[in-house]
Amino acid sequence: MAAEKRHFVCVVCPVGCEIDVVHDGSEIISMEGNKCEKSEEFVTQELIEPMRILTTTVRIEGSRWPVIPVRTDEAVPKRLFPSIMKKLTRIKLQAPVNMLDVVMTDIAGTGANIIATRTMPRE
Amino acid sequence: MMEVDVAVIGSGPAGLTAAIQAHKSGARKVLLLEREEELGGILKQCIHNGFGLEQFKQDYTGPEYAERLIKELEKTGVQCFLNTLVTDLSSDRVITALSPEHGALEISAKSIVLAMGCRERTRPSIGIPGTRPAGIFTAGVAQRFVNIDGYLPGKKIVILGSGDIGLIMARRLTLEGAKVLGVYEIMSYPGGLKRNIVQCLNDFDIPLHLSHTVTEIRGKERVEGVVISKVDGNLRPVPGSDKSIECDTLLLSVGLIPENELSKKAGIELSAATRGPVTTEAMETSVPGIFTCGNVSTVFDLVDYVAQTGAAAGTFAARYGLGSLSAGRQPVDVVAGENVGLLFPQRYSFQDDLVLFIRAAEPVEKPVTIEVAPPGSKINRLYARPNEMLRIKIPKEKLAEVKHLIMVSIREK
Repeated sequence: MAAEKRHFVCVVCPVGCEIDVVHDGSEIISMEGNKCEKSEEFVTQELIEPMRILTTTVRIEGSRWPVIPVRTDEAVPKRLFPSIMKKLTRIKLQAPVNMLDVVMTDIAGTGANIIATRTMPRE
Repeated sequence: MMEVDVAVIGSGPAGLTAAIQAHKSGARKVLLLEREEELGGILKQCIHNGFGLEQFKQDYTGPEYAERLIKELEKTGVQCFLNTLVTDLSSDRVITALSPEHGALEISAKSIVLAMGCRERTRPSIGIPGTRPAGIFTAGVAQRFVNIDGYLPGKKIVILGSGDIGLIMARRLTLEGAKVLGVYEIMSYPGGLKRNIVQCLNDFDIPLHLSHTVTEIRGKERVEGVVISKVDGNLRPVPGSDKSIECDTLLLSVGLIPENELSKKAGIELSAATRGPVTTEAMETSVPGIFTCGNVSTVFDLVDYVAQTGAAAGTFAARYGLGSLSAGRQPVDVVAGENVGLLFPQRYSFQDDLVLFIRAAEPVEKPVTIEVAPPGSKINRLYARPNEMLRIKIPKEKLAEVKHLIMVSIREK
């Protein structure tokens, strides 16, 4: 692949360096604008596969509230967010649920689990 | 009348931390008053991650952060009254409250911690012309609908204002299947943190339009659309720049205001800049024995800052209640100098290190020096942005000689 230019804002720390990167699709050829070395790892990962924690809610029965907040227990490919959301619309939990309980394992083949982020007592 | 050592009003991150810290500092009878049915305040609906990075070195979601504090509180002997609405507060520290369980309450407290948080600015506070249809929400109300009540407030959404809650909701609503058409910000710079612009807007290809505002809302029963205009350097709409956008929902993320009705009833002096109590580094207000912390004091960027002020308020409120807080010296004013838009706390009472929270008046995207004089301390930062609070600490020992006032300035290096 021929060299391409791309602009990134590094989110490793609050400074938020604006970085101009020349890359060949998966590797950095050159970069400027970053104030420290941490951006290199960030940009490299962004080029290969942007990874994020997904936070959302799923339905729950038998509790005070109809939904309970959940998240992935590790970062997952951002491009899989729509398919993960779709899978999560199909489930309905039963209270009680404890914080950090695993709600779904190996979501969308990522190896990550979906875990509850609050305790929801039965009411 | 019920009697307690320390009464804390509000159980968000500030109030929870203050109650825990008051107990740890030796107060025997600590009472926490919460108007909702659960502890935790607004954290319960902030289901995104990014909380506690500074304080706990952990990337918690809001509910996880709250639950960590609640579990810590449960280990103390702090008494909690839920569903309890404080209706009055007097300068001699008597609280009037109502609750279905306890009825009408009068509570006399040796010291009080205010931790009521803030509320959102609404459509009337920014005066948008047009009709009054359904479908106009503040971003925080939409957040509650989606994350706690399980409703989606709309399908085609325009967001006015680029405050953090608006940015977070742009991502959240997109994930839930709504189409967020754009975020419009009247200022020439964003209101929220840079990492939220990147992770909430750029990640989902949601456009951010700076120097734009909503000049009209259309629709009779339900929002049918909005008119967007460019604004000039004086924030006035530019004639001929209007553009009509079809949408069913308008979210407002146009600022937060500390909720100080009770503070006013107690005769507490408020700051015109922060709209919260004028406060010392010990978190004491102008009324002796009444302390303040978190977003009722000034609107903070990070929960870590909120909790930090909560810890200070809890510590000093406990000491006051126990009678072990020295009368100390007459406080001096802490004053905003060059390019300082907002400053907290506003007074220094020589009891602790001075931890200052500062917002620049104008953005400086170059290295800056924050000068605190006296004692003439100079602290360097890589930039100063109005949307990102700067926090600096001046040790108590350096301030012992201060006589009149302390001036804080931000200068380009």
